[in-house]
Amino acid sequence: MAEIHLKNVSRRWHNFTAVDDLTLQIPDREFLVLLGPSGCGKSTTMRMIAGLEDVSSGEIWMGGKLMNHLEPKDRDVSMVFQSYGLYPNMTVYENIRFPLKIRGIPASEHKQRVMKAAEMVELTPFLDRRPAALSGGQRQRVALARAIVREPNCFLMDEPLSNLDAKLRVSTRAQIANLHHALKTTTIYVTHDQVEAMTLADRVVVMKGGIAQQVGKPMEIYDRPANTFVASFIGSPAMNLIDGDIADGTFSNPYLTVSGLPHAARGPVTLGFRAEDVSVVSEGGNLSAPVYSVENLGDSTMFAIKGAHDDLISLKADKTARMAIGETVHAHVPAAACHVFDRESGLRIDGFDNQAVA
Amino acid sequence: MTTLHTDTAQSKPRQRIPLISVVAVVFVAIWLVTAGFPFLWTAWGSFKVEADFFSRIDWTFALSGENTTRQTGGPFTLGGYQGAWIDQAFWKATLNTAIVTVFVTTLSLILGTLGGYALARSGRRYAFWLLMVALVFRAMPHITLVSGYLMPFFEWNIWGTLPTTIIVLVAINQPFTLWMLHSFFLSIPKDLDESAMVDGCTRLQAFRLVIVPVMWPGIITTGLFSFLLAYNDFAVGAMLLSQENQTMIPKITSFMGSIEQEGNIMFAVSAVVSATVPLFLLVMFFQRQIVGGLTAGAVKG
Repeated sequence: MAEIHLKNVSRRWHNFTAVDDLTLQIPDREFLVLLGPSGCGKSTTMRMIAGLEDVSSGEIWMGGKLMNHLEPKDRDVSMVFQSYGLYPNMTVYENIRFPLKIRGIPASEHKQRVMKAAEMVELTPFLDRRPAALSGGQRQRVALARAIVREPNCFLMDEPLSNLDAKLRVSTRAQIANLHHALKTTTIYVTHDQVEAMTLADRVVVMKGGIAQQVGKPMEIYDRPANTFVASFIGSPAMNLIDGDIADGTFSNPYLTVSGLPHAARGPVTLGFRAEDVSVVSEGGNLSAPVYSVENLGDSTMFAIKGAHDDLISLKADKTARMAIGETVHAHVPAAACHVFDRESGLRIDGFDNQAVA
Repeated sequence: MTTLHTDTAQSKPRQRIPLISVVAVVFVAIWLVTAGFPFLWTAWGSFKVEADFFSRIDWTFALSGENTTRQTGGPFTLGGYQGAWIDQAFWKATLNTAIVTVFVTTLSLILGTLGGYALARSGRRYAFWLLMVALVFRAMPHITLVSGYLMPFFEWNIWGTLPTTIIVLVAINQPFTLWMLHSFFLSIPKDLDESAMVDGCTRLQAFRLVIVPVMWPGIITTGLFSFLLAYNDFAVGAMLLSQENQTMIPKITSFMGSIEQEGNIMFAVSAVVSATVPLFLLVMFFQRQIVGGLTAGAVKG
């Protein structure tokens, strides 16, 4: 059990900066998710914590100890890899036992601890098999069992679900959430899937280009994205972002007018709103545009219209809504559901009410 | 002709298979005889006397063994083997070969696995250049390297001994083992070392306990090739070994090179057979590992 502190950590190769001046305080028992597109530095950050990657500058502290120059084995972390990293020549039992054996834990404890770990991930019937005789989901559970068997300071999980199919991903995700609840070990989890981040995390770090864009609870990030990048990354579908001008609390562009915004800003901005906050109406509303595509999702229908830059703006409607492509859709975008971002920097501009809270 | 065949094949697809199989079987049979006959012929002939096997009068003497019967009283003789193994001390050459091959294989593998692993896991540019330099050395004819060694070996008074030859063979062989093992190590995902290190291994433990066990097919294949290089070596042994320290292949050559003497050439023939048999057994014994190892290196996992 330990808290982890990253102080101005950077990782550079020649002239490429993978992680740029990252500072993070991770309290004990937290489930922290590093989220971002590929190449954003999230895996590098985790690998620096594990000791598999050198730190170019900055300090990594864990449980009050400076970790920068410790070997991975001396950091007392355990890691789950995307490709599982199982030892193909050993059985499941030996795989799970390996960390105990190598760390010189008395042999008398091995059996009981391996069995306990195997039980937690429901692997007991497979202990004699070799990894090659297991399915992808089972392999990943072996990797999980091997990580939990020795009760380390911290779990590191590097995209553990991305090699699994969609159905298994959901069940293994639930299993990871359950494990964390049971063990309460500090966990750092790397993913590019925002659903995993939203469902698992106590806190999420959204990264891009080696820089943390926003750190916060999942709902905070969902409700108040710090910039257009975070807004477009979180949520499914992503937040609609529309360029236009704002003046006296009214946003306008050729097909959308939103008035009553609590923002004092003037000039070019980007307006953001989520598809599910929109209500599609038959007449009136403050948005009207020709339908570009119609997608029936079963529980709802998605209409997409084309924005100014050929980007698609999606509107969520009732599952009974029917419309042909090319027809004009009318919708109401409530001012309360809108986010305003500076068009140049992409940074969030807060309204009066939000500023008061902040 | 071709069109006709294709037509028949299309209308009656059943007939196509026998035709192709017949051609294939005939081809393989011809090839097998061409490749295997010299070995069988030599093995057969090694139990005859020189007057039969190298008969200038009638080649069928080699089959009937007329002179062999006249000289030794039977159609087969072990004379060649006795001469080579006992009179000419071929057993000593065999022993020398055993020593050389065991040491060359062991040393090559120790250096090759460590070096190949380091090169495969190093992200540095010089790793690539080291491999390129190794390739250049590998490309040179062995004899050019040996002739360069010769003078210093005389001066240091280490010429003619087995350890010197072993070192030179290991040096010549190393580029190959490095390349081969390097590509085997590349096929093993880096995640494996990393998960071992996070699990509590040092780099060396990760190598020993996790990587090497996975690498066995590759190590066996590379070891076998190293063994064959040392076993079949002629250039190095002939140049660097004194008469009493000679290994099998240079020894066989010296049987043939010495002045024409009745029976001496048969020593060479029986020595050749003696030297070939272990190779057959070895390859047959390890065939599964060799094939597994070769493909494991070829297909990146």
